[in-house]
Amino acid sequence: MSRRPLIPTITASLAAAAPALGAGDGVHHELPLYAQRLHDWLPITNSMVMTWVAVGLIVLFCQAATKRMSLIPEGLQNLAEWMVEGLYDFLGNLLGHHLIKKTFWFFGSVFFFILVNNYLGLVPGVGTIGWTTVDAEGHQGFIALMRGGNADVNMTAAMAFTFAILWFVWAFQENGLKGFFSHIFAPKGSFSGVMLWMMIPIFLFVGVLEMISIAIRPVALSFRLYGNIYGGEQTLEKLMALVPPYLAFLPALPFYFIELLVGFVQALVFTLLCAIFLKLICDHGDEHH
Amino acid sequence: MMSFLAAATEVASDAGPFESIKATFGLNKWFFLAQVINFFLVIFVLKKFAFGPIQAMLEQRRARIAEGEEKLKRIEKQLADSEKNTAEAIAKANEESQRLIQEARDSATALTEAKAQEAVAQAQQILVKAEAAAKAERAQIAAELKQEFGRLVTATTAQVTGKVLTPDDQARINQEALAKVES
Repeated sequence: MSRRPLIPTITASLAAAAPALGAGDGVHHELPLYAQRLHDWLPITNSMVMTWVAVGLIVLFCQAATKRMSLIPEGLQNLAEWMVEGLYDFLGNLLGHHLIKKTFWFFGSVFFFILVNNYLGLVPGVGTIGWTTVDAEGHQGFIALMRGGNADVNMTAAMAFTFAILWFVWAFQENGLKGFFSHIFAPKGSFSGVMLWMMIPIFLFVGVLEMISIAIRPVALSFRLYGNIYGGEQTLEKLMALVPPYLAFLPALPFYFIELLVGFVQALVFTLLCAIFLKLICDHGDEHH
Repeated sequence: MMSFLAAATEVASDAGPFESIKATFGLNKWFFLAQVINFFLVIFVLKKFAFGPIQAMLEQRRARIAEGEEKLKRIEKQLADSEKNTAEAIAKANEESQRLIQEARDSATALTEAKAQEAVAQAQQILVKAEAAAKAERAQIAAELKQEFGRLVTATTAQVTGKVLTPDDQARINQEALAKVES
């Protein structure tokens, strides 16, 4: 028996088990746009539970991988080193040695946290295990115990706005106050004489546009990640509702594979965009270091 | 999905766009803050338990490899120096041995020559001595012969003449006989 069909088989089994765990009652076929509060007086949402699970798994993995480190790596240490070194080198090629050394703690955390959250959102039971509710008007509802961490805009916004603040900190550290503003507003290229005077208002206008772009970035980052992950989960929900409950796994199956790819790509896109934004503002400064 | 969009549109008509977005996507400052804390928790955990030790290990390994490379270069240099020194020492030893062999050869030649000359000298000396000895022996034999001849001449003369010869007669007869033989 070859090893190749093993991974698809396992994935298919997981995919098949997912709808069976929660879609049977037919009550919830739409994933709410927002994370639901699990308790009236406790400010906890189902996406928070998911992020705690993600944090717990990351802690467990890190503990297991770094418990007995040796110069000749093996097992989990090998895997952890491969992932960390791979990402470090990949981002290092983009940011340069100085910047990546300074900022890897953030980019590494963002990438792995998004990745773990995205994949946890695909685990059978997430979004499907929960309880039904009936409001005062008699409308039936469903509250899932867990919801994909990045299918909550509060989570994606938390990461994006944290980056926005860090972006300013790093940009000022690398360029200084004058360098920061000249990087945005000063004419790029070598102009002189009349040409320079003509370019100044143009680049001032470009600088204003750049400031607007900078302000929009965290919002765009938040909603890009949220939209992709929410969209994927909603697609799976809808597809499972198209057929009778005992066949619910079938239409969703191909999309599980796509979601595995999307989970990775979105983690990479978020991280890469953050890295590129930082590189753009620090590019001039980085040459001097 | 349509119901969500309808709800969002309804909210948007009642409030401003930001309020509309907040209501539609469930943006909440406390939940946002909680997620920021969660995110920082992840950063702390990953930095402390993953990136820190792993990067330290990678750095240690990198330093170890660099150190190994440096040592290798040093050893290669030492080896090259050692090979050069050995070659030089061998060349020097060869040169020295050649010189010694030549010296020994020269010394042996000189010694052989000296010994040969000594041998020739000794041989000549032996020859001279032998010649001298032979000459002396011949002289002695001649003297003895002369003496014997004189005695015989004297004895013969005494028997022929029938008289006793005095020592002067014997001496005179011997001299005359010898003078006749020698002439």
